Amino acid sequence: MTMSNSGSQSAAITPAGVDRPAAGPSATRSLEQADSAHLAAHVRKGRSTESARRTAAWLVGIASIDGRVVGALVLLLVVMFPFLWLVQLSLRPTNDIFGESLLFVPSLDSFRSLLQSHFAGSFVNSLIVSTASAGLSLLFGVPAAYALTRCRFRARGRIALWILVTRMAPPIAFTIPFYMAYRWSGLLDTNLGLIIVYLTFNLAIVIWLMQTYFAAIPQALEEAAYIDGCGVWSAFWRVTLPLTAPGLAATAVLCFVFSWNDFFYALILTRTNATTAPVAIVNFLQYEGWEWPKIAASGTLVMLPVVIFTILVRSYLVRGMTAGGIKD
Amino acid sequence: MTILPWEASRKRAFIIGLAPALLVLGAITLLPTLALIVVSFTPLSLTDPINTFHFNNPLGNYRQLWADTRFLNSVSVQLKLSLSSVALQLVVGLGVALLLNARQAILSAVRAVFLIPMVLPPIVVALIWKIMYTPEVSPLHRMLENVGLPVESLITNPDMALWAISFAETWQWFPFTMLMVLAALQMMPDDPLEAARIDGANRWQIFKYIVFPYIRPALVIAGLFRLIDSFKAFPLIYVLTNGGPGTVTEVTNFYGFIQAFNFSYWGYASAIAVLMLAGAFLLSWLISRWGGHHDDE
Repeated sequence: MTMSNSGSQSAAITPAGVDRPAAGPSATRSLEQADSAHLAAHVRKGRSTESARRTAAWLVGIASIDGRVVGALVLLLVVMFPFLWLVQLSLRPTNDIFGESLLFVPSLDSFRSLLQSHFAGSFVNSLIVSTASAGLSLLFGVPAAYALTRCRFRARGRIALWILVTRMAPPIAFTIPFYMAYRWSGLLDTNLGLIIVYLTFNLAIVIWLMQTYFAAIPQALEEAAYIDGCGVWSAFWRVTLPLTAPGLAATAVLCFVFSWNDFFYALILTRTNATTAPVAIVNFLQYEGWEWPKIAASGTLVMLPVVIFTILVRSYLVRGMTAGGIKD
Repeated sequence: MTILPWEASRKRAFIIGLAPALLVLGAITLLPTLALIVVSFTPLSLTDPINTFHFNNPLGNYRQLWADTRFLNSVSVQLKLSLSSVALQLVVGLGVALLLNARQAILSAVRAVFLIPMVLPPIVVALIWKIMYTPEVSPLHRMLENVGLPVESLITNPDMALWAISFAETWQWFPFTMLMVLAALQMMPDDPLEAARIDGANRWQIFKYIVFPYIRPALVIAGLFRLIDSFKAFPLIYVLTNGGPGTVTEVTNFYGFIQAFNFSYWGYASAIAVLMLAGAFLLSWLISRWGGHHDDE
């Protein structure tokens, strides 16, 4: 493994490197050139070597296929089969729903008819509510997480437990009082109502997760900013926050995903105007008969953003979903 | 020298930063919880809210719970579902993690794909399994029919419905245990393994005496987390069985939902929710104790 790795590395340097030093008049000169060529190669190798190393790792992986890999791939196929079945069902032409063959011409008819139905509106509602809720939770949660990280409040442990309980609490415990309050205040079946409810879990996530990111930023940087004339929050805004940008983005994505995935609150607190995409799926199941390709297409559309996010920011998502369980 | 006023102004600034979040969090979590507890002491019903909001018999709802066979049944259904699915998740998750714990590019790609069930919207998971369990569209049912073994739908069969849900729940959540175990395995030092190998331990002995004790805390935490979350199971039951056949799959959460939103018995539903909240609180407290203990080591 080490052998083939280093081999591919040097192979990658040659094409990326500099022209071969011309045979100079003097030996010293040629040596000098060779030296600088080496240096240049060293500087430039960056990307191409990195990608070459990755390809090499893949090749090594494929070459050394063993029982473990075969077992993993078979298992993968079995586990992902129900998921893939949903996707293929959504692409089936309507006249061939129950077809036996897996060979069919994919059709986007189901998706097209979805876009012309109420589903499109629910999808937009989902986007609005999830984005706004993620934004609001960051607005309130980030400064709080920062304060909790940098300042040793005496109530810190109690606040941490409170936040954990909020994450753990069964939604029905919040739904009953929220439903009563919303009926009275007219927030029932509005996007704003859902945005507020989603803060119950998103705010807890932001405060919980951002603390780990802030803890990783050395405090000395902020003190330096203070000496340069920054106040506490301007030092935070100009120095600390930009450094946690990746964590901030990941936390925002996580809030979005949790709001996007919610079904329980949306089912109870919306009726017709503010239904979100997951509730629209259930309406298909209940009221529109059993139009399987259309139902499958709606499921595929709803999971699309989440699957894309998973691929893009996987490691951060993992950290967020297991927060509290794994110590960083 | 300049650090001193910095420290002083910091404290004030931090309180300003913390206050809005705590106020909002208090307004949306503590207030509703208080309201829930208050309502749980009344027989409030939405059909007649004015006359049913009184405290003549504050513990009436809680007393009624002990005599309500449908509630007691829901608790036992909940326990069956939670314990069976969490146990399955732990076993499957542990197995998959051990299978995938090697430094190979392919395996890390496989690990990534295995995360998909866990991040999918629960309603989509419910949809996927609705399709799997509905004979007319399910590839599994079709396959069994083709080999001459037609099986009736699992979710309409009173003996199988709960296990069908437990299976779907396991499919969705085994990756969580897998992740936790993989993280623990990656932090495991190599030395004891080497030493055991040199001493001639076989693979089972190495697993039993070295690997397993090392990942046990991760398994416990994963189990507790999943146990708490399993009390919230809703979309799967709502879409697959709607609590039926009969009340075979009616878990406590679902029963509370029916009491509140089908029968409008808000006081009674609140009492159920208060009990569930107390359970979640107790388990969270256990986790924070466990987490803290873990820290000290």
